[in-house]
Amino acid sequence: MKYVIIGAGVAGIEAAKTIRQKDSAGEIRMISKDADVHSRCMLHKFIAGERDEKGLDFTEEDFFQKHKIDWMKGVQVTEVHPDAKEITLDSGEKISYDKLLLAGGADSFIPPVGELRKATNVYGLRNLSDAQAIVKEAEQAENVLIIGSGLVGLDAAYGLLERGKKITIVEMVDRILPVQLDKHAACAYQALFEKAGVRFVLGRKASEAVCEADGKIHKVTLDNGKEIPCDLLIVAAGVRSAIACLEGSGIECDRGVTVDAHLKTSKDDVYAAGDITGLSGIWPNAANQGKIAGANMCGGSEEYNDTYAIKNTINFFGLVTLCVGRILEEKGDQIQIKEDKTQYKRVILKDGKVQGILLQGDISHAGTWQYLIKNQIDISKIQKDIFHVNFADFYQIDENGEYRWAEN
Amino acid sequence: MKRIIIDYQKCDGCKSCSVACMQAHRETEGTVYDLDLTDPHNESRNRILKDADGQYKPLFCRHCDDPKCVESCMSGALHKDPESGHVFYDETRCGSCFMCVMNCPYGVLKPDTVSKTKVIKCDFCVNAGGEPSCVAACPKQAIYVEEV
Repeated sequence: MKYVIIGAGVAGIEAAKTIRQKDSAGEIRMISKDADVHSRCMLHKFIAGERDEKGLDFTEEDFFQKHKIDWMKGVQVTEVHPDAKEITLDSGEKISYDKLLLAGGADSFIPPVGELRKATNVYGLRNLSDAQAIVKEAEQAENVLIIGSGLVGLDAAYGLLERGKKITIVEMVDRILPVQLDKHAACAYQALFEKAGVRFVLGRKASEAVCEADGKIHKVTLDNGKEIPCDLLIVAAGVRSAIACLEGSGIECDRGVTVDAHLKTSKDDVYAAGDITGLSGIWPNAANQGKIAGANMCGGSEEYNDTYAIKNTINFFGLVTLCVGRILEEKGDQIQIKEDKTQYKRVILKDGKVQGILLQGDISHAGTWQYLIKNQIDISKIQKDIFHVNFADFYQIDENGEYRWAEN
Repeated sequence: MKRIIIDYQKCDGCKSCSVACMQAHRETEGTVYDLDLTDPHNESRNRILKDADGQYKPLFCRHCDDPKCVESCMSGALHKDPESGHVFYDETRCGSCFMCVMNCPYGVLKPDTVSKTKVIKCDFCVNAGGEPSCVAACPKQAIYVEEV
């Protein structure tokens, strides 16, 4: 059996591991644009100079050798032909497969504002190659403008602060981390970044940016007419599934590659996992999808059903936050808040079920919240302070000694 | 693999297991008799919870068959050892993102209190001969190691 995996992110790696467990003799080939296996969640540590390329690798030592995987790195797939069961590489080489996994991830989205897409000093922060280019460009840049204050934008700022750059972050919403946090929790991070020297311009959009003679953008005009000087721009405005190579393949795509519950695409023997599916942008979900797709490529019929993806953890300057579920208040919500000088906790309840949790400062033992929220467990009968509800209230032990949540 | 089996009905909530765990993982030399229980550097990997009915419910890392902490680890710091089946944590690789804390369905994990850079995680006392200190300290045999 000939397995081909496009992409060496966590989905591709987990799929390869799973395939090797189930098929010790099969031929596994991974093809990636990335020249190094790396964790995208640690790119800020590379920019900051805290870790080198090797320090971003999340696989075990000699991973490809140990698992007998033929890895073609720095190679781009340009076409996929499911009917001929082969793919075409940028070199023109064709590679055939029996089972194919699309795990090529996503690309940074650069919005069509002014000449952002044309300029040579504008970067997304998605791949190690982006981080490497940013570090290089930063050598001669003093003023950095970051568009977007989500996790990627703040990661970029965090890394570049270590390099002593003057950083301005423009965010169109009136608070930072608008997807993850409420205003109170966002202000805590804003204050920490400001103390470190970052300037925020909130509630504003970039409206004009023109390349100068050197091909670079040296100032961006905001929607209030104000100009911000910059030598390096980082656009953190989300990602789009990397589906360009699937054009004409007949593989059904919507925002990402369309998959069924078994993570099979519309074409036989072609599976997809990770960010390319657009199902979730969260690491654990991508890992899980990779395992399931890998098992199914080996003839299994596992379903991807742990789909919950509205969850995140944040850690900047030693201030940790966990947010799961809904953050914005809706009609009929009951909100409880607890706060002291070291922590802020906010829970949204509706009809006895937790809709969202935000914990900042102390996230100890907080894993149970995800279970309560994603399974919509009714906790109205538990006579406890809600912040003290824990696994003891649902405690079951299986014969093999593992825990199990009691039926609701 | 070996797992610490919990017979929670035998637990009387004495927390000897938690003290033993703090002692086993303390950074300073000494015996349990000079262990500083108020020093935030000394953290237990296990906890005794109490449910709404007053029953003690010991919470110990299960070293799960399908560990959700490992699945969430974006740095490679957590891995399930294929030989022992135990889930080990390498703090030098940890990226301090704490997705493992979020992803443990039983709420076992936590960031370290002092630096918020490490995860407090049971290591099955592998550096102390692989005999869990908590088990040795339990006066009620409410926890014991068994091959599963």
